[in-house]
Amino acid sequence: MLAPAAVFFLLLYFAPIAFQLFQSLFSGANSDRFVGAENFIDAVTDPDVQAAFITTVLYAVGALVVGSVLGLVLAVVLNQALPGKAIFRAILLIPYLTSVAIIGLLWRNILDPYVGILNRILESVGLPTQSWLTTAPLAVIVGIAVWSSVGYTMVLFLAGMQGIPAEYYEAARIDGARPFRQFLSITLPLLAPTTLFVTVIGVINALQQFALPYIVTAGGPGNATTLYAYKIFNVAFSDSQFGYASALSFMLLIVILVLSLLQFRAARRWSS
Amino acid sequence: MSPASRRSTGRPRRAVVLASIAIAATTLTACAAPKTGGADSGPVTLNVMINAGHDYKAYQSVIAAFEKKHHVTVNVQKYQWGDLQTKLVAGFRSGDVPDLVEEAGPGTAVQYGVQGNVLPLDTYIKRDGAAMKYPDDFQSTAVDARTYKGKTYSIPLHLSAAGILYYNKGLLKEAGYDKPPATWDQLKQVAKDTTKNGVYGLAVTNDPIFDTFLLQGGARLTDVASDKVLTPSSDATKSLTFLQDLVFTDKVAQPPVASSDYAGPQKLFSSGRAAMFMSGPWDLLPVREGSGDIDWGVAPPLKGKVQASALTGSGLMIPKKAKHPGLAWDLIKDLTTLKVELAATKESGITMPRKSWAASPQIADDPTMSVVAKTLSVAVAPDSALAAAGKNDQINDLWRAAYQKIVIQDAPVKQTMDQFRTSALGIIK
Repeated sequence: MLAPAAVFFLLLYFAPIAFQLFQSLFSGANSDRFVGAENFIDAVTDPDVQAAFITTVLYAVGALVVGSVLGLVLAVVLNQALPGKAIFRAILLIPYLTSVAIIGLLWRNILDPYVGILNRILESVGLPTQSWLTTAPLAVIVGIAVWSSVGYTMVLFLAGMQGIPAEYYEAARIDGARPFRQFLSITLPLLAPTTLFVTVIGVINALQQFALPYIVTAGGPGNATTLYAYKIFNVAFSDSQFGYASALSFMLLIVILVLSLLQFRAARRWSS
Repeated sequence: MSPASRRSTGRPRRAVVLASIAIAATTLTACAAPKTGGADSGPVTLNVMINAGHDYKAYQSVIAAFEKKHHVTVNVQKYQWGDLQTKLVAGFRSGDVPDLVEEAGPGTAVQYGVQGNVLPLDTYIKRDGAAMKYPDDFQSTAVDARTYKGKTYSIPLHLSAAGILYYNKGLLKEAGYDKPPATWDQLKQVAKDTTKNGVYGLAVTNDPIFDTFLLQGGARLTDVASDKVLTPSSDATKSLTFLQDLVFTDKVAQPPVASSDYAGPQKLFSSGRAAMFMSGPWDLLPVREGSGDIDWGVAPPLKGKVQASALTGSGLMIPKKAKHPGLAWDLIKDLTTLKVELAATKESGITMPRKSWAASPQIADDPTMSVVAKTLSVAVAPDSALAAAGKNDQINDLWRAAYQKIVIQDAPVKQTMDQFRTSALGIIK
């Protein structure tokens, strides 16, 4: 019964990863020079790769923390009996459903300090113009990523909340627990599986983020928004070093696997 | 479970497994290189990749006539330079390459040619060069930049140079200037006097490929033959410090925005928010179409230590694994005639590599084109040894990051230069 799925994963998932690992042992524009583990050693000692990894970790922490907290707050608000909440839920999902290329181009044009509409609006109301793309580019990338995905995070938390039996809250109310206490003692603990899912997926997505720095800032200014995946892309398609890019990709795979395993282990320990 | 029921579950299971393998095999076959027709397989499609901004009507007419003459379909795929490079490099790896590609500039074809991914064109040139007047009728800078160790890897399509000074006549006149600046000192003064009311004196580029301050300061980005980078060091330091001061000390130029869009200075100029910017002939059409009622002009490159511009301009190359190299060559011949060059220039202002183009009355008598001709005459070609070593793109990426640190992030010039030098020499050596 599992054979078709096994064949599918073997051909379309594991085989490419194995080929990538094989390719990482070669160097040159045509990957025709065998270098063994040299690409991996170079990757670990390359200051640009180290910088890209650190930038990616900062991005991941920012996007995950801000995105999760905001998603949770929105879910709590939209779980109330509010008029028009269905419309708000739908509106919040629109950015998630929009192509990342459109989102990147849209925000690049909005935030352009010289010809962008945001600064024109600020000028028209007498406020000082801003150069966020120049002065806080990584924060801009985090902000755009959160804006585009908060609707999805909200939906996940909302679904988790709606699976919590109402009797728990009733019992808590009878015992005199106020809403914030109910949130801390009932909602948060019972949302643990959802929170685990959000953080695992969030970490994976954040470490693989490529499109936004590519479209919005081209990794600049300097290397301020050169995330790890963008670095891999440049090494492969700009520098034509596919062997080195394969080594970088494989290392990213290992990091993501390790982080995911650690998260699951932490969740199991916490729930027990 | 009875033997009968085990038999009855075994056959459907085997069928499912075999069906899965068949589906997977079919899927993988479908992912293989698409067949576009060859000598033995019916209609021929010639795949051509060009820059999205170069799909001129002049070229479209040539392609339509080519299709009729050769009974082929020409599939023109248009990309921005970055995406074109990505597609092309991926194509080199997979074997799925177009038949004809527009290369981004001097050195690109040499880099790919030395790697063995692009055909040397010497056999074709030997056969047809006389009729094409190649290389005799082509500017030697454009020809030499595409030749390495006696092999020619692409034919110049355009010849341009970055360094033309576009200026807003009205803003300069308001500040008391009847003519544009010709030297760095004059540029700084004019920029200071025109910076006011939300308008910058100068719009600066985010991409150093189009920046000419380094060259005008008498410095070169690389000199691979001598293992040197940003050389002479004192000239390079002066150039970059001058540029940084314009942005952060004198505050007459805006810190550019880091993005893949290099049209920022032109947009700022055309919206009336910058009095001057430096670019190449490719901005003549956007400025003409996008500047409304701005009275604008062009001036030759500035003189710092020397008067210089950066040689640019695309060419046409044939990937080694192209399915129809002969047809691709025929299309190159048709696209690079003098008549087509003049038509493309008339349509877009783009400048061309033929000497007869420069000498033709349409060009020689045009005041804007005479400025462009001056820009071409002081053009400095990039280091061909860098391209031949296959390090062009790596060094350019490093340099872009260093340049942006200086011009956007106000990083210390000397320290940034030293960091760049260390990284670049590590790559070159």
